[in-house]
Amino acid sequence: MASTSRGDALALPRVTCPNHPDAILVEDYRAGDMICPECGLVVGDRVIDVGSEWRTFSNEKALKDPSRVGDAQNPLLNGGDLTTMISKGTGAASFDEFGNSKYQNRRTMSSSDRAMLNAFKEISTMADRINLPRNIIDRTNNLFKQVYEQKSLKGRANDAIASACLYIACRQEGVPRTFKEICAVSRISKKEIGRCFKLILKALETSVDLITTGDFMSRFCSNLGLPKQVQMAATFIARKAVELDLVPGRSPISVAAAAIYMASQASAEKKTQKEIGDIAGVADVTIRQSYRLIYPRAAELFPPDFKFDTPVDKLPQL
Amino acid sequence: MDQNNSIPAFQGLASPQGAMTPGVPIFSPMMPYGSGLTPQPVQNTNSLSILEEQQRQQQQQQAQQANAGLPGTSGQTPQLYHSQTVAGSTTTALPGNTPLYNTPLTPMTPITPATPASESSGIVPQLQNIVSTVNLGCKLDLKTIALRARNAEYNPKRFAAVIMRIREPRTTALIFSSGKMVCTGAKSEEQSRLAARKYARVVQKLGFPAKFLDFKIQNMVGSCDVKFPIRLEGLVLTHQQFSSYEPELFPGLIYRMIKPRIVLLIFVSGKVVLTGAKVRAEIYEAFENIYPILKGFRKTT
Repeated sequence: MASTSRGDALALPRVTCPNHPDAILVEDYRAGDMICPECGLVVGDRVIDVGSEWRTFSNEKALKDPSRVGDAQNPLLNGGDLTTMISKGTGAASFDEFGNSKYQNRRTMSSSDRAMLNAFKEISTMADRINLPRNIIDRTNNLFKQVYEQKSLKGRANDAIASACLYIACRQEGVPRTFKEICAVSRISKKEIGRCFKLILKALETSVDLITTGDFMSRFCSNLGLPKQVQMAATFIARKAVELDLVPGRSPISVAAAAIYMASQASAEKKTQKEIGDIAGVADVTIRQSYRLIYPRAAELFPPDFKFDTPVDKLPQL
Repeated sequence: MDQNNSIPAFQGLASPQGAMTPGVPIFSPMMPYGSGLTPQPVQNTNSLSILEEQQRQQQQQQAQQANAGLPGTSGQTPQLYHSQTVAGSTTTALPGNTPLYNTPLTPMTPITPATPASESSGIVPQLQNIVSTVNLGCKLDLKTIALRARNAEYNPKRFAAVIMRIREPRTTALIFSSGKMVCTGAKSEEQSRLAARKYARVVQKLGFPAKFLDFKIQNMVGSCDVKFPIRLEGLVLTHQQFSSYEPELFPGLIYRMIKPRIVLLIFVSGKVVLTGAKVRAEIYEAFENIYPILKGFRKTT
């Protein structure tokens, strides 16, 4: 008999086993029973299951959600939403004599959480544009919920907070996105996202790790269509350049872009500074500046097993 | 002048520039630990070295007193700003240490940079900007001021104040119709006050009964150079609750010191900007607090 044991996330019912009052009851969702693990006594039965009605295989909504009772309850994010909405109505009987639909009032649903639900929708849309996985979206939703409940950033636009939460979630998951990438999918300016980012870190009293050049290599290189050797070479060049402190004070994104430029120019797949600048969100003069800093020691920066299409002394010098 | 060991805060110095008293320096044997609010460098906490330090400081201070006078110029700052004890007071909190450590090991010379324990940096932050406010005490008609005064601009659609500039001291003032005025750009407190008075005189000459009430300095900005490159990544790792370093947003590290409440912008090149101070002493104190920490994160290559 497969039993799921819920943790303390859902409130335990006040029934307890008569023989073992402090045993935590195990819930069998299929039969709707609460079972004492010590003696096996079925204590509560006909417990209503709040999971979804049947399995739907798509993550997002299909055209027609076949669930008759609505979505699975998401207790972590909503405020325990037990309201009923009257939907638009099908068929001729739902319209009264003037052509207006009867039962117009379908607006009032958890007004306190309406803004939060809107924000979740916005987060989902933004994340979808850059193909972020479910775990980042969930983390973003959680962060937004914490910030929203704290109310310390209440005056700020919810979209700005949502964008900043998305940025923080990507950082926390170890796959940081640049501010410019988040800007590209959000209507908020980089400045405002940066401000909200700092405020949220202060409000939640967390911190994030510093970004490194290697975090962005795989994304930038695959967007440019560079082969794996070039990507590995660029990663090595950027890391070596930072270790040798050839680029003090430069943003890691600029250093990564310059390293990609050097690696691609030394290989068969040459990319121009403009192309790399477009992908990385860096101006091509910035790439030029960082490239000038790493060019003098180019020979040491390449990995030892790199196959040069263009030798080091023939690398472009700008 | 408290020798109060319950406040072990590391206070570098009070106001060296033209100040009468050395302020309230607190000298405590617990100094290297400090309170949680003051940034503490990672130091060796060998009590012997601390005692030796105290001893040397006392001797220097006595030597300094022999020189007499507060020079107030940056040429002699290494000695002046090192003093931790109040002039004339030679008591340390530790009983009975004087005879033991008064050995030839501690020369009566200025501080050698070799000791790892706390010592002064010898660098004085220079003030770059002072913002002050004053109340002229009467309602003003900005249009007449803008029309009749020289070097005044007034664009009510953009900003509701007259922007006036004078050349000596080179400052800018925002004069509001309520009679309040903001004066920015001065390099010292006296210059700020003098400039504010000049603006008040200009307004007075235009026919308004201007007074000079509640002159107050609101913000002071200072900058200096520690002359060595700094590893900002290391600093943000260890002082996470005070620092914010986002190279995408700003190339410098923003360090929010809690005691004194000063914001420092620390750059890789070693330049430091300090702001948010109401008095000069806070800037100096903040720099003395941060200097040992920055030394710990010096780039070695």
